[in-house]
Amino acid sequence: MKTILWLMAHTLRNTFRKRSNIILFLLPVAGVMLSAGLYGQTGGTGLSIGIVQQDGADAVGRDVAAFVGALDGVKLTDTSDADLRDRIAAGKLDAGIVIPPGFGESLKAGKPMQLELLSVKGAQVTAYVQAMLDGYLNNVASIAAQAKGDEARFEQIYGEYTKGSFKVSREQLTDASNVKDTTYQSLGFLVAFMMFSAVNMSEMILREKENRTFLRLLSSPVTAKSYVAANVAVNVVAMVFQTALTLCFMRYVLDIDSGVPIMQLAFSLVLFGIGAIALSLLIVSLSKSRGQSSALQNLIITPTCLLAGCYFPMEIMPDAIRKIGAFLPQHWLLDTVNRLQQGDSFGSLYMNLLILAAFAAAFAAIAIFRFSRNNDTRTFV
Amino acid sequence: MNIIEIGGLTKKFGDFAAVDNMSLTLKEGEIFGFLGANGAGKSTTISMIASLLRPTKGEIKFLGKNIAKNAHFAKMNIGMVPQDLAIYEDMSAYENVRFFAGLYGFRGGELKARVEEALSFVGLGDKQKELPKNFSGGMKRRLNIACAIAHRPKLIIMDEPTVGIDPHSRNYILQSVKELNRMGCTILYTSHYMEEVEEICTRIAIVDHGKIIADGTKEQLKAIITDSKEIWIDVKSVEGLNQEQLKEIRGVLSVRIEEQRIKIQSRAEIGNLNDIVQQLIRDGMEIRAVEEQAPNLETVFLTLTGRNLRD
Ligand SMILES: Nc1ncnc2c1ncn2[C@@H]1O[C@H](COP(=O)(O)OP(=O)(O)O)[C@@H](O)[C@H]1O
Ligand SMILES: [Mg+2]
Repeated sequence: MKTILWLMAHTLRNTFRKRSNIILFLLPVAGVMLSAGLYGQTGGTGLSIGIVQQDGADAVGRDVAAFVGALDGVKLTDTSDADLRDRIAAGKLDAGIVIPPGFGESLKAGKPMQLELLSVKGAQVTAYVQAMLDGYLNNVASIAAQAKGDEARFEQIYGEYTKGSFKVSREQLTDASNVKDTTYQSLGFLVAFMMFSAVNMSEMILREKENRTFLRLLSSPVTAKSYVAANVAVNVVAMVFQTALTLCFMRYVLDIDSGVPIMQLAFSLVLFGIGAIALSLLIVSLSKSRGQSSALQNLIITPTCLLAGCYFPMEIMPDAIRKIGAFLPQHWLLDTVNRLQQGDSFGSLYMNLLILAAFAAAFAAIAIFRFSRNNDTRTFV
Repeated sequence: MNIIEIGGLTKKFGDFAAVDNMSLTLKEGEIFGFLGANGAGKSTTISMIASLLRPTKGEIKFLGKNIAKNAHFAKMNIGMVPQDLAIYEDMSAYENVRFFAGLYGFRGGELKARVEEALSFVGLGDKQKELPKNFSGGMKRRLNIACAIAHRPKLIIMDEPTVGIDPHSRNYILQSVKELNRMGCTILYTSHYMEEVEEICTRIAIVDHGKIIADGTKEQLKAIITDSKEIWIDVKSVEGLNQEQLKEIRGVLSVRIEEQRIKIQSRAEIGNLNDIVQQLIRDGMEIRAVEEQAPNLETVFLTLTGRNLRD
């Protein structure tokens, strides 16, 4: 035990001696800031949105346009269907909404028609408005559901809802979904960086082999097992610390409330992180040099993170690619977060957590097998 | 007391036996030389003694205990100086030695004392804070040794500790080896430099193709050679020398040239010195000195293996 602690101190010191490793360690925090920047504040600069009102006769339909217009930083312009696309393409409008005939009726019936936000600028521009709008429409739809077709009752609740000032209700409901995106994307970054940091730390084993100090270590009372154990222990400690730091930064500095109890989020992340560490060991056990492990890391981690939706939302991916996600641990973590945000209880997600644990166990088992098979002093362990 | 007893030791890499049924005993207090050309199996043998490699067959005992079953005991009492430098270039000399000594359980004041002792022993006492990446080759080699002796092992294994360094550092290391031995350490010293082994070792084993082909004190080894002698002839310039003609002379076994020196190995009982000198004069050599050498380890090696040590 004394020796393991000595080795852990050594591993820690050697890892953070290099400034680039400290930066890598802190990247998730930067990732969170970046995604908060992308998804969080669309206001500031102001958005000009064109609206094509084809349901002007209906009060509820008119209110939809009014709601969007009342959003912070949004400038609404009435336009025609034909004009809209041209003006978006010319960059005169950031986005456009077409409210089709009968939309108000469909809302009142509790089955709102699809409302599409047209834009060429991508999700970072429209996510905010889309999220607000979805929240608003959901609320109206649930009012309709409560009224159960009773027109008078609907008018009453709806009237109160809209009168209670758009502003108040808006802030509450939009914040929730807007923040969901931010949280999801921040965690996507965190997941990718966790995997890279894990490999970075495990590569220390290869570095010791390359500069032969591993051989000297093994001629001392240290066994290969205790050395690897110390490395993994440091890796786990660093990963827990990294997760805690990122979550606290999100929560207390950027003031993003993910809508999920922080301990549940942390638990899922740590479980995933253990899998990431096991994977990094596997990568290292398959490599003879750091060149090889870097190549493997780029081959494995980057594409899988892309496919699992760590870098941008899954919604923009074709269906076939989304299905591949089911074979990736990142997907199961993000899925867990997603469902927690949608209000699923932690207990009901035991399947997801089991799958994450299974990934970790499988990676670790193969790595241990690889390590134990190899006893050549030229390539080692 | 025997510090190392090796019996029937074999290490195969695939079908190739790098160490082939080797048996060997080291007594406490010896400086034991392992002499052999590159690829003879020296490093493989000592890797097994240091518990870095598992033998394919055979047994190694350290102070009477089987090392496979008492690895911890053996490792605590053995210090290994690897053939290739095994130090952290970005940790100071002090941190390097401190880290490795800590693996043997030393902490606090005792650790500090041991580290300082080891560093000043190899002459790096005033370079403690410096990074090895700024060291000369010789200084790195010395640090490599310091890392292996701070825990005061009973047996120190040195694998070619003087490869590629300047004469000053080399001499320093050879003197350190003798000093360590005086302080009570047994040394297992591998080298393919005959002169080194001859200078410091109390006993020598000649290794070839994974086998020990001769062992004993240097006098015992040289006594093996009774039927050949070596003649050194210094000339002004070897230009124009016809080696083939020299080899034709009765009794001549081999001819080597080292700068202005012609080294001729010849059968001992045949008096051919006149013929040799005449041939050299015919080739236009200007002879400066002629000297008949007592047999040395190089001739022993040559005779036993039919090859030069440095081929
Ligand atoms: N891990 C290995 N795999 C295959 N061959 C090896 C391995 N290690 C050493 N050898 C071979 O065993 C022989 C002895 O090597 P070594 O013990 O390093 O020789 P020396 O130290 O005497 O120069 C060499 O031919 C070398 O190529
Ligand atoms: Mg060697």
